[in-house]
Amino acid sequence: MVTHWGRVPPGPKPYAILPAMHVQLLKLALGLYSVGLLHSVFTVLRKKQTLFKPAVVATLIGFACHVASIGIAVYEHRTLMAQRYESFSAFAAVAVLAFLIVYWKYRITSLGIFAFPAIFVMTFVAVLHAYNAPVSVPELLRSRWIYIHAPLVILGYVAFFVTFSAEVLYLIQERELKRKRVSHNRLPSLEVCEDLAYRSLAVGFPLMTLGILSGALWAQQVSGLAWMSDPKILLAFITWLIYLLLIHYRLIAGWRGKKAAYQAIAGFVAVLVTFSFSSGFHANFQP
Amino acid sequence: MELALIGVSHKTAPVEVRERLAFPADKIRAALAKLLERTHAAEAMILSTCNRVEIVAQGPDAQLVRDFICEYHQIPPDAISKHVYSYKNAEAIRHLFRVTSSLDSMMLGEPQILGQVKEAYRLAAEAGTIGSSLSPLLDRALAVAKRVRSETGISQSAVSISYAAVELARKIFGNLTGKTVMIIGASKMGELAAKHLKRNGVGSVLVTNRTFERAVEIAKIFEGAAIPFEHFTDHMEHADIVISSTGAPHFIITRPLAEQVIRNRRNKPVFFIDIAVPRDVDPSVNDIDNAFVYDIDDLQQVIDSNMKERMKEAGRAEEIVDREVQAFCTRMQSREIAPTIVLLRETYEKVRREEIERHRRLLRDMPAEQQQAALAAIDQVTQAMLNKILHNPIALMKEMSADPQGAEFIETVRKIFNIKSQ
Repeated sequence: MVTHWGRVPPGPKPYAILPAMHVQLLKLALGLYSVGLLHSVFTVLRKKQTLFKPAVVATLIGFACHVASIGIAVYEHRTLMAQRYESFSAFAAVAVLAFLIVYWKYRITSLGIFAFPAIFVMTFVAVLHAYNAPVSVPELLRSRWIYIHAPLVILGYVAFFVTFSAEVLYLIQERELKRKRVSHNRLPSLEVCEDLAYRSLAVGFPLMTLGILSGALWAQQVSGLAWMSDPKILLAFITWLIYLLLIHYRLIAGWRGKKAAYQAIAGFVAVLVTFSFSSGFHANFQP
Repeated sequence: MELALIGVSHKTAPVEVRERLAFPADKIRAALAKLLERTHAAEAMILSTCNRVEIVAQGPDAQLVRDFICEYHQIPPDAISKHVYSYKNAEAIRHLFRVTSSLDSMMLGEPQILGQVKEAYRLAAEAGTIGSSLSPLLDRALAVAKRVRSETGISQSAVSISYAAVELARKIFGNLTGKTVMIIGASKMGELAAKHLKRNGVGSVLVTNRTFERAVEIAKIFEGAAIPFEHFTDHMEHADIVISSTGAPHFIITRPLAEQVIRNRRNKPVFFIDIAVPRDVDPSVNDIDNAFVYDIDDLQQVIDSNMKERMKEAGRAEEIVDREVQAFCTRMQSREIAPTIVLLRETYEKVRREEIERHRRLLRDMPAEQQQAALAAIDQVTQAMLNKILHNPIALMKEMSADPQGAEFIETVRKIFNIKSQ
């Protein structure tokens, strides 16, 4: 017998602050994030850092709008991720947060080249989906588990994205150094790249582990052992194994540098595959 | 008053000429005093370095300054005439700004020149030959140089072997604090590279050499540890940076050795700087993961590419200098124009009154009443004429205040109207 302790009794429909205000705020955030996109495009084209400071400021303001948007959406729907767009939106917001933290700690301006477009695209996808968003909230999501599972998984994904970006920067810098064509880039040093990659991995892995665990428990409660045959969950497990091996090789075998970088990138490809695969519980509302 | 800059530099004169024209620091004070006396300059400064000898002076005749240089050093004027350049006003300001910003240096963007200009400024100030004209000019020149340094990359990247080594080490390790460097073989260049690394935070230094005593000597300089040459391979795994410069005819650091070292370090990166010819480090070591090998040619290549980058940045620096020269000229001229205009008016007002007074006797036969009326009419007419005559030069001077040629123009006006400062 499954006890549905996690269920929230369906209450009266909450009061909407303004029709679709969260969508409007998200669009505003998107507009502000576009400055970051411009920074990346111009920096790559002109091979010289352009518009970085304005991009950071715009992103900071955009982030405030973004958080407000998510807050209003959660209040109105009485749950997280009620609509497909909200999960994209949440990812984007956490990515912005991660970027701001990393920038604040390491001052790696070159990270922006990856981070800004990623943030923009995620937010853009969220805005696109916001147009045909379903009005009703799926019954399945009216569970307290969502508040545990979703944030853990999203934080984990974003931490892995940071690992990935740092390792890509590592590979670029490493190649330049090996080829002795040291250009006048402002890439971080190899040690900083490795440090960032390792720290974000150390943060991401436990989050992802707990995220997957909470998902499994939730599924167990809803439908017993059926989740085991869900391909998305299987993929998530494979991804988790790749990262487990990565941590193992780093700690036990002392893997560093290129080998570790390639593995981290492989891990992130697995993350992307898992993320884009919709099946089972995630089929209807969450990628 | 005219600003003049007369001098020779590495661009116009060979060292044989420059050394004969140099002013030793302890003689500059006396030389400045003589210079003012001989050339009637109001203010002056002498900048004498190994690459240039320049005299900046306010108010002298350029020819007199040339004569002074020849007399002082007892050289016939013909011997130097083709090497000497002289600039006036805006051109002199531009040259001074370019020199101070290291745009005219032999090694583009080298930082020493700024200190040398400061020193020359200080010597002249002590000698009392700096006044209200040169002081703001030199202050501005120093400010422009700082601006050029901070806003362009002209002195950013390394252009010497030892700095290139530091720059590369930074790209691998980021912060060099607490890193260990190992010096294999005793050479000046190796020592220099180690010195720069140490200054940039490297913690401990290990030294090894075939003659152990020499290793001990060098280790003492860096407060490091000397290692007998037979055992250096055992200690290599502690080194993050290895500088090798032995006279060995074969590779000292072979691929198997490097692989072993990296393994022992659990893949922590090692930066091999091979400044020996023939080389000490097998170039295939560079193919090992986490090992980075730079030989002397690789370092030279880094320097060449940095040099090109400096050239590019120099273009931006020239733009900054252009704008600064323009702004400085405008400021100085507008400061000079107002008193000139006042002086011009005062001088001719005085002439007018004197002339009226002088010709007053022509009216002495008139009755008092008529005389009064005639005087009033004369006063009015002469006043109007004077205004008409002075209108154009004054308007032109105001217009020229933003022009680089403005100072010369004002000088011309002063000459034509024969006005002298009080």
